[in-house]
Amino acid sequence: MIEINLDSVAQQSTFRHIHPVTKLILALGSLILCLISPSPVVPLISGIVLSLVLIIPGRTSPRLYGELLLGPAIFTVMSIVVLLFLLGGGDVIWRFNPVSWINLTITTGSISQSTLVLFRVFGCSISLFFIALTTPMTDLFNGMKRIGIPIEIIDLMMIIYRYIFIIYAQAIEIWQAQVMRLGYSRVREAIQSFSMLCGMLFISSWIAGEDLVRAMDCRCYNGVFPTLDIAEPMQMRSLLPVIAYLTGLCGILLVLTTNIGVIL
Amino acid sequence: MWDSAGADNKYRSDFVKIILEARDVRYHYPGSPEVIKGISFHIRPREKIALVGPNGAGKSTLLQMFNGMIHPTSGTILFDNEPVRYDSSSLRQLRKRVGFVLQNSDRQIIAPTVYQDVAFGPANLGYDEQAIRQSVALALRQVGLEGFERRVPHHLSGGEKKRVAIAGVLAMDPDVLVFDEPTSGLDPSGSEDLMELLDELNNDGKTLIISTHDVELAYPWADRAILLLDGRILEEDVPDVAFGNLDHVRMAHLSVPTLLELSQELGRRGFAQPERKPRSVLDMIHIIENHIHGSCGNPSPGTITVCNVDEWDTAMLPAWVDARPDIVIGAMGTRAKQCAAREHLALEFTYGVIDKCILRALRGQDSLILTVGSMVGRVGVRVEAYCRESGNTITIINLNTTNQPPVTRLINEEVKQTDPSSR
Repeated sequence: MIEINLDSVAQQSTFRHIHPVTKLILALGSLILCLISPSPVVPLISGIVLSLVLIIPGRTSPRLYGELLLGPAIFTVMSIVVLLFLLGGGDVIWRFNPVSWINLTITTGSISQSTLVLFRVFGCSISLFFIALTTPMTDLFNGMKRIGIPIEIIDLMMIIYRYIFIIYAQAIEIWQAQVMRLGYSRVREAIQSFSMLCGMLFISSWIAGEDLVRAMDCRCYNGVFPTLDIAEPMQMRSLLPVIAYLTGLCGILLVLTTNIGVIL
Repeated sequence: MWDSAGADNKYRSDFVKIILEARDVRYHYPGSPEVIKGISFHIRPREKIALVGPNGAGKSTLLQMFNGMIHPTSGTILFDNEPVRYDSSSLRQLRKRVGFVLQNSDRQIIAPTVYQDVAFGPANLGYDEQAIRQSVALALRQVGLEGFERRVPHHLSGGEKKRVAIAGVLAMDPDVLVFDEPTSGLDPSGSEDLMELLDELNNDGKTLIISTHDVELAYPWADRAILLLDGRILEEDVPDVAFGNLDHVRMAHLSVPTLLELSQELGRRGFAQPERKPRSVLDMIHIIENHIHGSCGNPSPGTITVCNVDEWDTAMLPAWVDARPDIVIGAMGTRAKQCAAREHLALEFTYGVIDKCILRALRGQDSLILTVGSMVGRVGVRVEAYCRESGNTITIINLNTTNQPPVTRLINEEVKQTDPSSR
């Protein structure tokens, strides 16, 4: 029983059949533009557009998407609070000086830089989520092979990917069997049960490894692990909007760069 | 018309050969007592063999010897009359020709997508890209999983995973297929579908060996059953003899198949039993009706219409079926079942289809069998054999040659002469 995970969402995405390179161009293009943008406007636009694309035509559950964003949101907000006091420049807006050796100030400069960091983090996170939610790992393996990542590493990644789900399903089964027999009712039992679970998983992974070798031998393994190279060809009807969007984003970035003083 | 004569000749010529043989094979795992204690038997091409025995009888160990996964401690395994050699190049050749389907499909499916898994064997055999694609497409078509290429194994059902595992082996085009507990973990419908697939593969010329402890499954399916107990062969014979020996069945912790038990009980109650024991409900009905009515004929039996979905415009089927409200439909073969699903045709029979349609015909009702090219002949052969044995006449209509019945009357000339009452 595999519960909802990013890979399952990607497998069922409506963008699943768009060529992975098209999706990578969109996501990595947005990510780079968010990173180099001197203004929060580009990451904001990129984040909103990609989120809308994911939710409306991509049919990603808004609830799931919100939950996913919550992770980076909590981390970023905590970092921003620190950045607000760490960074300086500009006029002081708020000062906190309870004792002589503690002097916390928030300045206009720290606010603008923290805002920029906040939006950049969001823009970049959403770009990465776009890839994670639309492109399953199985599609990425092929791309990795094309860009010259050593085949041994890709083979290993493919086997690991396959076995994550088998071992995860086993972990769930063992955990359920333990919960049914009150294995996690008290701290002492919980520690014992969890260590037992880890031990069992190690043993079953070991056995799975031996079975894997046998299964490969049964099918005349000779060092070849085939890759799936049957993705649809790159289509202009999906590539053109991506290029148009990135060009637009570049245009906004250029305008902002030349009139940076006005915007900020 | 059914081209059964040619198939029969090939079948007979295959039956005199031996494809796989064990000669006094023994095996013990390191530091353990012997688990295989001197086993000898042989298997002919196109045979369906059921290796039956309780847990721990040595079934799985023995099966693994067939493709060289386990090297016997003593004795010899012969493939195609040649002793199996255990150097890596000989083992590759052997494993190409003897495909092994493990009990746990999750252990057999090793690649992250269906395509990659099925392509694993052909890629390692050194096929070029085009040949790999072709063998994957053919194997997926054989098991009815076309369009599953990009699916990931953890999103498949148990039955689908089993089919992927079988496709992975079929892609190497083996002569012999070995299945360890093929129906374990499948629901009854999934098991029936799988057994139907095995019949289809056998019909395509594959030799099949399955290990099981499900006697109800093995009894009607197998050509021969080998009962194993404690690493030795207890009984090796046609299923009605192998499972008919109560002492042996009891010793092997098995049970007598229901049909055989019923036949034995009827025999004890004075109902004369034919020499050939019933292996299907049809056989049993034949025996019972013979007792009650003296024959099991019907003055106006129904017809069996056969449609080869590979060669007929199946879009016309719904209209054809609508025009015959009393007809029921059975499907033999994976593509036939897919065709029925595509055309939204409700299937009454998906397993044991021919026998069930003969039973309907004997009740005076008509039926339609959707099937695929390789299995069309089987309908004719089975109905003909039944008609010859029972003295009945059942009309088979081939939808691919005409829509106007009757086209073929499968009746044995001798039956016509000896049984003038038959139509």
